[in-house]
Amino acid sequence: MNIYQHLLEFFNETPFLIKFAIIVVVVMVITIIVLIISLKMIRSLLNIKDKEILGYKKEYEALVVEYLFSEAQTGELSDKQHSIILKIKEDIKVIPRRKSVITVLSSLMNEVSGEMSDAIQTLYHKTGLISYAKVRLKSKKWHLVAKAIGELRRFKIHEVQDEVSKYINHPRVEVRKEAQLYLVHLFKFKGLNFLDDLELPLSEWHQLQLLEALLNLEDQKICDIKPWLKSANISVVLFALKLVKVYNQFELKDTLVELLSHPEKEVKLYASVVLNKLFGYEVAASLKPNYIN
Amino acid sequence: MDSSTAQIIIEIFHYLFFTCSVLAILSYIILSVISARETIEYVKKNSFVNYNHILSSPISPSITIIAPAYNESLNVVENVRSLLSNHYPNYNVIIVNDGSADDSLEKLIEAYDLEHIDYEVNGKIETQPFRRGVFKSTNPAFEKLIVVDKENGGKADALNMGLNISESKYVACIDVDCLLLEDALQKMIKPFMEASDHKVIAAGGVIRIANSCIIKGGKLIEVNLPKNLLVQAQILEYLRAFLLGRMAWSRLNGLLVISGAFGIFDKSIAIEVGGYDTKTVGEDMEIIVRMRRYMEEQNKKYRVAYIPDPLCWTEAPDNYKTLISQRNRWTRGTIETLRKHRKIAFNRNYGKFGLISYPYWLVFERLAPIIELTGLIYFGILVSFGMVHWEYAVLFIAIAYFFSVLFSTVALYSEELTYNQYKKRGAGYRLILLCFIEPLILHPVVLYAAIRGNIDYYFNKKKKWGAMERKGMASAETN
Repeated sequence: MNIYQHLLEFFNETPFLIKFAIIVVVVMVITIIVLIISLKMIRSLLNIKDKEILGYKKEYEALVVEYLFSEAQTGELSDKQHSIILKIKEDIKVIPRRKSVITVLSSLMNEVSGEMSDAIQTLYHKTGLISYAKVRLKSKKWHLVAKAIGELRRFKIHEVQDEVSKYINHPRVEVRKEAQLYLVHLFKFKGLNFLDDLELPLSEWHQLQLLEALLNLEDQKICDIKPWLKSANISVVLFALKLVKVYNQFELKDTLVELLSHPEKEVKLYASVVLNKLFGYEVAASLKPNYIN
Repeated sequence: MDSSTAQIIIEIFHYLFFTCSVLAILSYIILSVISARETIEYVKKNSFVNYNHILSSPISPSITIIAPAYNESLNVVENVRSLLSNHYPNYNVIIVNDGSADDSLEKLIEAYDLEHIDYEVNGKIETQPFRRGVFKSTNPAFEKLIVVDKENGGKADALNMGLNISESKYVACIDVDCLLLEDALQKMIKPFMEASDHKVIAAGGVIRIANSCIIKGGKLIEVNLPKNLLVQAQILEYLRAFLLGRMAWSRLNGLLVISGAFGIFDKSIAIEVGGYDTKTVGEDMEIIVRMRRYMEEQNKKYRVAYIPDPLCWTEAPDNYKTLISQRNRWTRGTIETLRKHRKIAFNRNYGKFGLISYPYWLVFERLAPIIELTGLIYFGILVSFGMVHWEYAVLFIAIAYFFSVLFSTVALYSEELTYNQYKKRGAGYRLILLCFIEPLILHPVVLYAAIRGNIDYYFNKKKKWGAMERKGMASAETN
């Protein structure tokens, strides 16, 4: 007690600057101790979480595989499948378990097709995972909305088209990108109609992803690109030019030649690249005046 | 000098050092807060990015990796193999053998079945001439590889040769001994492709220390914390610099440097500004400052991007001699660049670049070691004249020390919550312990090297790069 009183007296008698410096040092030392303790705790928690998630993944992988191979001969859901759905429905009330189920189902969706894919979609519906995604779709946090759209795309949920379409001009690029990818993945070339209403730029990274989605479609019968070549949105014109090039749209030659007089330099340049790729020497006469100008 | 004049001088010194210290502490606090926000934003943004799309896309932009090599015979074959194993679909590798005196070229010819080809260089940037010329492989497995053998002209000159030869839209300039992770290029190209209302002129990545890590066949197999205390201290220093400092400057679009070990550039802009400056030893910083200056003068909207993912691993100096030589060079590079572009300083025409980034570098990078040394000398004088108020001095030193520890702990915190590379049991405790001893074992050496750099810059103009002793990452230290 005497030492404490002695320290207190010393502190009270010292000049203001020293007092201030002592307080700063004490605050820093306490902060360091707190940070170190929480660092240790975070490290342990992360290890536990990693192990937990790994355990959940194993559990649900086995459960989902069992679900997929327990289908009744009639095509109806079997008792086993019903019990699995009920179990998962109950489990996903816990967030880490829900995330693990979604991860397992998503990776399976990437690997299977046909009936298996339909069965996973049914499981996604029946377990109520779709409802959680729909709730997140209305979140105020942009990254939750973007993740929800991505999830609905992976599980091919068509019924949220109207809600998702509202996001095509969202101020956050990540949200509008997910919304646009959703439309193309699920509604194929028809999904590209969002380009008519697109007010914001389509980055090259985004164009690449849309093009990849289109190239992976089974039906490669392309829609009418011409209106987008005349869009007021320059990035839409550039994307349409890429479509013309990749899908060899020879019938659009006249529109391409018109684009050589486009006020935007980048459009002019890319139009000449596309013309050159599709028609070679044939269009040299059209290209010449533009070089001269 | 009467006693009142001496007293005034002492007072001025006190206030000067006090102001500098407060400003430094405040700037670090502000940078930490900004970097925390930027890190959270980056993690959120990238949590649902699919990088695989770019791997099969017909419109993925072309990238050339340019790697200068000078007397790298020991590891050059392995290092090139690592560069060739990247997953990116549309890239090639140019190795510029910059007049090596060893058998680097012979080893490359033998390992990759190279044959000489006739090649007409479009000399957009002036460089040293070819020695034996350009080589390509006869083996289709190595079709992405081009080896250029030229007269020695230094790293900047070798990079310029690569810029002349590259036919790609973007160039990734890297040190040949760096280990690039397989997904590095697709992650680094993303900011260039994402930009729609501005131009990304360059992107830098995090450099991680590979000493003691297990690397096989050009791939990083296991991340280990080295036992060498000097290397450990540099790991902490890099974490602070990359996860806190650069992350924050990236948010402010104020990055003045992209590490020479790994950075991607918009080739057209790099060539428009004249390529790398061969007259400086800090060519990596200088080209970024010049590119930024060019964009500001052209009134064009631009960014220098930064990717915090651990994509590039390199060998750090494991002895004081090499470390001092490296830091000496970095100091001279900073001085040369800031002097060359002094027009930018406090110039409103250059916006944030002239009013924030440049002055920050000038005060907290260029002048900091000089201020610190002056403070130490001043302290020594006060001690020798018995004029030290010890209670002030001890507290001042304690604040500086504990702030340094605190800043390192925050960097560790950031690492743990984001990339968490040092997962092995015991590594956490060792890194925490390091926060306490690093200011004592690394900082004095860095300060000494910076002062030597200043002396060499002003009094030893002939000094150039200094040798960097390489042990090779495949056989990285195990002590």
